[in-house]
Amino acid sequence: MIGFQLSEFLQYGVIGVGNGALYAMVGLGLVVIYRSTGLLNFSQGEIAMFSTFVVWQLHDLGFPLPLALIAGMVAGALFGAVVFRVAVQPVGDPHTKPLAVVIVTIGLFLGVNAGAQLIWGTGDRNMPKLFGGGAVQVGDLSIAWQKIGAVAVLAVEVIVLYVVFRRTKLGLAMRAVASNPESSALSGVPVSRILLVGWGLAAALGAVAGTFAAPDRGLNSSLMLLILVYSFAAITLGGFDSLVGAVVGGLVVGVVTEVLPRYVSFLSKMPLAPAFVLILLVLLVKPEGLFGSKQVSRV
Amino acid sequence: MTTTDVPVSTSVAGDRRAMLMRLAPWAVIIAALFVLPQVLDDFWVSRVTGWIPLAVAALGLNLLTGYNGQISAGHGALFGLGAYAAALTINAREGNFLLGILVAAVVCFFAGIIIGLPALRIKGLYLALVTLSVATLFPDLLKQFESITGGSQGLRITSSQEYRGELQEFLVEWKAPSWSGLTDTQWKFYVLLVVAIVCFLMVRNLVNSRMGRAIVAVRDNEVAAEVNGVAVARVKVITFGLSSALAGVGGALFALKELQLSPNSFVLTISLYFLVAVVIGGPATVLGPAVGAVVYGFFNDVINQEVLPERFKPATPLILGVALILLMLVAPGGIMGLVRQFGAWLSRRRTPPPITRKASS
Repeated sequence: MIGFQLSEFLQYGVIGVGNGALYAMVGLGLVVIYRSTGLLNFSQGEIAMFSTFVVWQLHDLGFPLPLALIAGMVAGALFGAVVFRVAVQPVGDPHTKPLAVVIVTIGLFLGVNAGAQLIWGTGDRNMPKLFGGGAVQVGDLSIAWQKIGAVAVLAVEVIVLYVVFRRTKLGLAMRAVASNPESSALSGVPVSRILLVGWGLAAALGAVAGTFAAPDRGLNSSLMLLILVYSFAAITLGGFDSLVGAVVGGLVVGVVTEVLPRYVSFLSKMPLAPAFVLILLVLLVKPEGLFGSKQVSRV
Repeated sequence: MTTTDVPVSTSVAGDRRAMLMRLAPWAVIIAALFVLPQVLDDFWVSRVTGWIPLAVAALGLNLLTGYNGQISAGHGALFGLGAYAAALTINAREGNFLLGILVAAVVCFFAGIIIGLPALRIKGLYLALVTLSVATLFPDLLKQFESITGGSQGLRITSSQEYRGELQEFLVEWKAPSWSGLTDTQWKFYVLLVVAIVCFLMVRNLVNSRMGRAIVAVRDNEVAAEVNGVAVARVKVITFGLSSALAGVGGALFALKELQLSPNSFVLTISLYFLVAVVIGGPATVLGPAVGAVVYGFFNDVINQEVLPERFKPATPLILGVALILLMLVAPGGIMGLVRQFGAWLSRRRTPPPITRKASS
C-alpha cells in the first residue's frame, strides 16, 4: 500500500471504535427486544432519535446534560413501552406473521420520524458533548474524551445488563419469557409486563446512543437512520440474541466501515457497502452469527 | 370428509351475468381514468401522472410480498435501477421511450433473480433486513458510480439538437402527436396509463394462472406446496424476478415523467412508501396497489400541498404511519379487503339465499 502510515491507520481505528460504541449501544437495545419478542425492531432508531430530542429539549430548558440524559432515558423508556403495548403487541407473533410486524414497525418509523419533525422542525439542533470537546494525546494519536466516554458508558451498559439478566428476579423472568412465553405465563410470570420492560429498556439504551451521536452528526430527524443499519449489521454479525455479540459486532462494524473506505477508493463514497455485505454473508453462511444461539425449526 | 353448501349457477345467462359483474369494476375504472384528463386542468393531470409509476412499482411489490409472502423493504432500489436503466437507454438511443421501458424491465428482472437467490435462504424478518439495507445503500451506489449515473448532479434525459449551427444536448420533451388533439401533459398521462394498464392486466392473468396459484401456495405453506409438486425454489426466484421487473417498469415510467433523476429520489423512504401503498390498498389483490398509490398520492399531493399549512407539512407521514398501524390491527386486508367485505355484505342482503346442493369435498 502506497502512503500507508501506521499512525493514520490507528487514528481511523480510534474513530471507528468511537462509532462502533454507538452501534453497539443501539445493537444492545435491538438484542434485548429480539430476545424477548423475537422481533427485529425497525423503529428502534427513530424511537432513539425521539428520546434524544427530549434530552436536547430538557437541556435547552436549562437542565444539566447528565440530568437531561437520565430524564430522556426515562421518557424514552415510557415511550417505547407505550408504543409496544399500543401498536406492536396487538399484531401478534413476529415469526408467524412477519409481514404484519414489519409493517407496524415501519409505520412507527414513519410516524415517529414525522412526529419529531412536527415538534422540533427539520433543521439541525446543537447537542453539546457529554464529555466535552477535549482530546487525549497518545503519541501521534488524538483520542476525543467523547469517544473514551462512549466506550466507558458502553462498558457500564453491558455490566448493568449482565447483572440485570443474570442476578435479578426481573432478569430471570425476562430470560424465562424469551425462552418460552407460555410456560412462563403458567408459572406466574407476568409475561406482558416483562415484554414491556424489555421495550422500555431498549428505548432507554437508544436515548444514550442518540445523545452520543448527536453532537457530531447534527441532531435532526434522520440522526439514527444510518446508525440503525450499522447496528443491524453489528447484531447480525454478533448473533441476534447475544449481548456480547452486539458489542463485538458493533466495534467490528464501526472499525471496518471507518477504515476500509479510507483505503479502498471503490468504497470511498459508500461506507454502507461493507456493512451490507456483512449482513448478507453472515445470514447466508452462519445465520446465528458469532455468538448467537442456533435456531432449530420444526416442520 | 365434510359436506359444504356450494352455490350453483342456474343457467348460462347467469354465468354470463356473473362474468359481466366481475369485469364491470375494471371497465368502470379504466373508463374513469381515460375521462380524467378531460375534467382536470393540466396542472392536476401532471400530478396524477406522478401516481402511476408508484402504482406499477407497488403492483410489483404486491406480487412478491402480498401474493408470495417474501417481504422486501428495498424495492425502491429496483425502482431506481429501472429509472436509470431507462434514462441511459433513451439517451443512448435518441429518445426511444418504449425501448427504455423494455430495457428497464429486463435489467430489473435479472437483478431480481440475483437478489431472489439468496432470498431462498433468508426469510421473513431477515429478508426485510437485507432488502432494507439494499435500499439504504442504493443512493450511495449512484454516487459511487458517478461516471455513469451523474452522481449527485443527477442524470437528464436529453437528445441532441442543432442550435445555432452546433449540436447540443437538450432535455427531451413530451410532444403530443397532432392527430390526437391532446395537450402534451394529457398525452403523457395517457401513455403512462396505457403502460400501467398493460402491467395490471398481465398481473391479473398471472395470479389467475397455474403459476399464480403456485405463488400463493408457496406463501401459505412451503412444505405443503413442495409436496404437491410446486417447484418452490423456482417459483420464489421467478416471482422475485417478475416483481423486480415491474418495479423497474415503474422506475422507467418515473424517469419518463420526470425526465431528470437524482439519487435523492431513491432514498429509503420510497421503498417504505411502496409497502404503505400495498398494505393500504390491500395485499394480495390485483387492484390494491393502484388504490394504495391513489391514497398515497392524495395525501402527498392534495392534503400535504393544498390543505396543510406550512408548519404542519411533516404530518403526512405521521398520518400514513398511524393509518398503516391501524389498518394492520383492524383491517389487514386493506381498502380492497374492506370493499370486498362490504360487497359480500351487500349481496347477502340483496339476493335470496342461493340454490344449493350438498357436495362432498
